[in-house]
Amino acid sequence: MDPYRWLSCDAEACRGCQACQLGCALSHEGSAAPALARLAVDKDMAAYTFAITLCRHCVQPACLAACPTGAMALDGHGVVLLDDALCIRCGACQVACPYCAVFYLAGGDRYIKCDLCAGRESGPVCAALCPTQAIRYVDAGVTP
Amino acid sequence: MTGGWLGRALQVDLSSGQMGTLELRDYQRQVLGGRPLAARLAWELIPAATDAYDQENVLFIMTGPLTGTLAPTSGRTIMSAISPRTYLFPWYTHSTLGGWFGPELKYAGWDGIVVQGAASEPVWLEIDDHGARLHPAGELWGLDARTCQLALKQRLGSQAQVLCIGPAGEHRVRFATVQHSEENAAGHSGLGGVWGSKNLKAIVVRGTRAVPVADPEGLLRETLALGANVSTPLYANVAPAAAYAERRGPTCSQSCTFNCGVGQYRRTADGRRSPAFCIGPVWRRDQAMQETHYEGAGLRVPPSPNFDLDIETHLHELCNGLGLDMWFRLVMQPWLIRCVELGVEAIDGHPLLPADPVWFEAFMQDLAHRRGLGALLADDLARAMDALEDRLPAELVALGRELEFDFGFPAHREGRFWDAEPLPFWVISATLHASESRDPTIGAHQSSLLLSNLTLADPEVARRQLRRLAEQVWGDPEALEPTFEGKAPVAIWSQDQHLLIDALTLCDFAFPQLVRPLGGREVWEQTEDILGDLEIDRRLLRAVTGVDYTREELTAVARRGLNLERALLARAGRDRSLEEGLAPHFGLPCRDDGTSIDEGGYGRLLDEYYAARGWDLERGWPLPETLADLGLADVAEEIERLRLS
Repeated sequence: MDPYRWLSCDAEACRGCQACQLGCALSHEGSAAPALARLAVDKDMAAYTFAITLCRHCVQPACLAACPTGAMALDGHGVVLLDDALCIRCGACQVACPYCAVFYLAGGDRYIKCDLCAGRESGPVCAALCPTQAIRYVDAGVTP
Repeated sequence: MTGGWLGRALQVDLSSGQMGTLELRDYQRQVLGGRPLAARLAWELIPAATDAYDQENVLFIMTGPLTGTLAPTSGRTIMSAISPRTYLFPWYTHSTLGGWFGPELKYAGWDGIVVQGAASEPVWLEIDDHGARLHPAGELWGLDARTCQLALKQRLGSQAQVLCIGPAGEHRVRFATVQHSEENAAGHSGLGGVWGSKNLKAIVVRGTRAVPVADPEGLLRETLALGANVSTPLYANVAPAAAYAERRGPTCSQSCTFNCGVGQYRRTADGRRSPAFCIGPVWRRDQAMQETHYEGAGLRVPPSPNFDLDIETHLHELCNGLGLDMWFRLVMQPWLIRCVELGVEAIDGHPLLPADPVWFEAFMQDLAHRRGLGALLADDLARAMDALEDRLPAELVALGRELEFDFGFPAHREGRFWDAEPLPFWVISATLHASESRDPTIGAHQSSLLLSNLTLADPEVARRQLRRLAEQVWGDPEALEPTFEGKAPVAIWSQDQHLLIDALTLCDFAFPQLVRPLGGREVWEQTEDILGDLEIDRRLLRAVTGVDYTREELTAVARRGLNLERALLARAGRDRSLEEGLAPHFGLPCRDDGTSIDEGGYGRLLDEYYAARGWDLERGWPLPETLADLGLADVAEEIERLRLS
């Protein structure tokens, strides 16, 4: 079986172009807005450093354990997916996530998270767009 | 209209504190956005004879339909107003800046901001999803631009984007900038002084809404096809591939997915990673200041030293903090060094030590605060020459005027003092300098600088390639031959392209892609057909807006913008007589090939260019039929009244 793949982050390489966020929002939400992305990039201007907030697709996901309805689930490739139809908007997943990588959209009253661009043949758009390889789509070193 | 535009600008009257909404959709159909849109509004909102620091001056901050989307390099913002820098008298002009402010403004629901009036006390403007508010700025006034931004981010969060002025803007220095982020700046047109005159210290915006995109998959497809890690051709084609293969410079604008040749990191004295964009590396690269030098026709521009890298890094950040246009150094340092060479060791009792970094730092502070020698030179070198005409050797006065020959803007891409540019490229630049409202060549990188760089890298290889390129783009293989004739089509094409990228908005370091990225000198030397993809902008615009503009329609937008800017110049009183005044500068021998032009030849360049633009030959103003063809009949009426007055 193919090894799991995930997104690796190197915040030191990031330079804040936000192409990852805009690509994510376009791909998932159909419009351009960092606030609609399933990852976040934050810049500390005082230090000129960047922080990338992104789902790690944990092997034992805290969000999944916290979810009371089964809306959060692992697929056969190690991808943690959120089924909006089952989500009751309790926010337990967001509280449980150690990486703060579950996002709440107040406008639509729903939670969103990275799905590794499920179904996209060429892999996640954020990694494909990143000009500095601060985000890369790589083998997770974990096999099913 | 579907995607891209939001259709409204925030209208702020600083005198009354009132806010309003300016509907833009009718304008956007005609002029798209950015620079042409600002020019259209300026024509309607700025009264004739307005001076830069009058309350009646209107400040425009505009985005384009691509701003805030994924379109590569689209994070740019346009700023314009009547400028205090233009010499001899004030006229309307613009600056453009990269960064993240424009996109954030659109996420807050606005395509632009129109600032009118002047506040009685310093204020800052806050904009978010819920509206806009003015706040007293007493505690911010006097702060440098970096500290001001950090203070406002501390208050409103790290995602808030800030435009602000430093002390130079507060003191109305004629080349004061409006700063953003580390060193994005509306830098060249002195608009920081306009902010200062309006008592406007900062604008802060935080938005969480979306910019609609008509074809999200199409935009993703176009962006991914351009390559997330492809060098722009600027510089990269004539440098060894290895020099760019691992390049990971900073980005200076949202959505810039290109591995640009402009930026580089340095470390500050306290160890911070710090970017240096564009002219920044001149301050922070060994011997870069030496590139300003000239000997000929009785003038000498001495090479200037770069200081120690740590000192340069400090001065570079200080320049951004004070809010001075970094280009001041490229004219003032050589001029001051020449003063000392000619035995002028003090002016008005102020000693000149331009090669001493301690003195230079104090001089920068004095410029920004209008103290001592800085009080004289804060009005820029060209005006200082008028003030000092009777007290300095004639050579120094002549040199000062030549260093800012372009209506008070520093010499740039003119083949003499700054930038190597052999025939025919300096001829094309000369036409642009004569016809635009400001230094035109910051904004002409891909279409002018790129081509001369190829010629300088290998004249024979370049000439063969450029003949083919000229045939493909302008239908004339002679269009880039090293002659004085027939250069108007290239100049006009370059101007139109730049108006267009400033309308969309895109970065001129990447667009138009006149020459395709070849990835290094080794490939470039072996390539015959170097033509890039000139339809990228059109495809990006279609994906974002859903409107399939033809190339002819986009060219008409650009020409509308340029003719509106030209009409604003005419209204201010600028005409051919002033533009002919640039001829003596181009009578100086080109430093690369010794070529020059006399006044008669320069006049013929203007004739050719004005005629091709549809402007009259007497004044260089748009003819009524030119304006009518562009849907600007209302503008034509006033220009005709001016002609008859």
